[in-house]
Amino acid sequence: MAGRIDRLARRVEPDQRFLAAALAGYARSEHMSDTDLAASLGCPVETLAALRLCLRPRADHFGDDIDEIAARFQLDDVVLAEAVRRADALESMRQPTLPDAGTGLLRAARDRRPRSKPAPSGES
Amino acid sequence: MQGTMSGPPGRLPAQSEARALHARLVAGSRTASSDLAVSYLDYLATTLARLNPKLDPADCDTAAEEALLALIRTPLSYDPERMPLDRYLLMSAQHDLKNLWRAEQRHRRRRIGLDPVELSPRMREHIQDMDSDPARIVEQRESLAEARRAQAEAMAAASREPLTREETACLDLMQQGERRTARFAEALGIGHLPPKDQRAIVYRMKDKLKHRLKRTGERHGRPDR
Repeated sequence: MAGRIDRLARRVEPDQRFLAAALAGYARSEHMSDTDLAASLGCPVETLAALRLCLRPRADHFGDDIDEIAARFQLDDVVLAEAVRRADALESMRQPTLPDAGTGLLRAARDRRPRSKPAPSGES
Repeated sequence: MQGTMSGPPGRLPAQSEARALHARLVAGSRTASSDLAVSYLDYLATTLARLNPKLDPADCDTAAEEALLALIRTPLSYDPERMPLDRYLLMSAQHDLKNLWRAEQRHRRRRIGLDPVELSPRMREHIQDMDSDPARIVEQRESLAEARRAQAEAMAAASREPLTREETACLDLMQQGERRTARFAEALGIGHLPPKDQRAIVYRMKDKLKHRLKRTGERHGRPDR
């Protein structure tokens, strides 16, 4: 049984809808093994497979979702929230920036536009 | 392992528990997906292996996973009024297993047709191993499912009205090459009608979907003005 659940938990790891994706990202960023991850969350390592199969907390229900998962698996909710936030941040950093997005370094490197003449105003 | 499902591990949830679990999935519970998998994965995989003793047990595991993931992704595909959850999941997993088996057969036939060169027994064994890799089959199935979803969305957009659940199920069956009226009747929830009526309704539904597909193709093929 544990083998099948573990296999399924690993299989959903690339799927961002599952908590597995967030936990994997967090563990990688902290160079954590499963044992380390379980210890930091405060649960037995055997619990990780079922935990990974939970759905990822929604941004608009973040606190409630973290509470639900933490209560269900008796986890440290602060560490769980931090793990998901870290994974979110890492994923957003990995999002490709479009060259014409007009943000960040590309914008800073652009030639300065010639300043246009101020529009005539009614002020004197 | 802690669980909201009461009882010893390996016991299937009672019908009331299964209904509550499904209701949690529909309501967006974050832990219901895990409870569902823990409650049903072993049952589905072992039952599939028992019902299909000639098939690879790894394929049975994969089909069981597919059925659970499908329900997690679209919880409304199951209607608790129509049948118990375990039966629905088993039917879904059996269907996935058949598709896996068919895909495998198609690959084997294609390989035989395309491969005029006599391979060494060692190389042949290696290739067979690669083709029977469940992960590869699942990967192909997922891209096929993605294409189906995209087509259903394109159809809905083209006709300005979304496909109903029944229409989506029929479209899936058509794209899987399903020809049996009984399968379409089951998807449409008209299994209780006389066969003649079932045939007529299924025919109309297929015709309607074909026309919508054709219209979708025309709209998408038309150059922008």
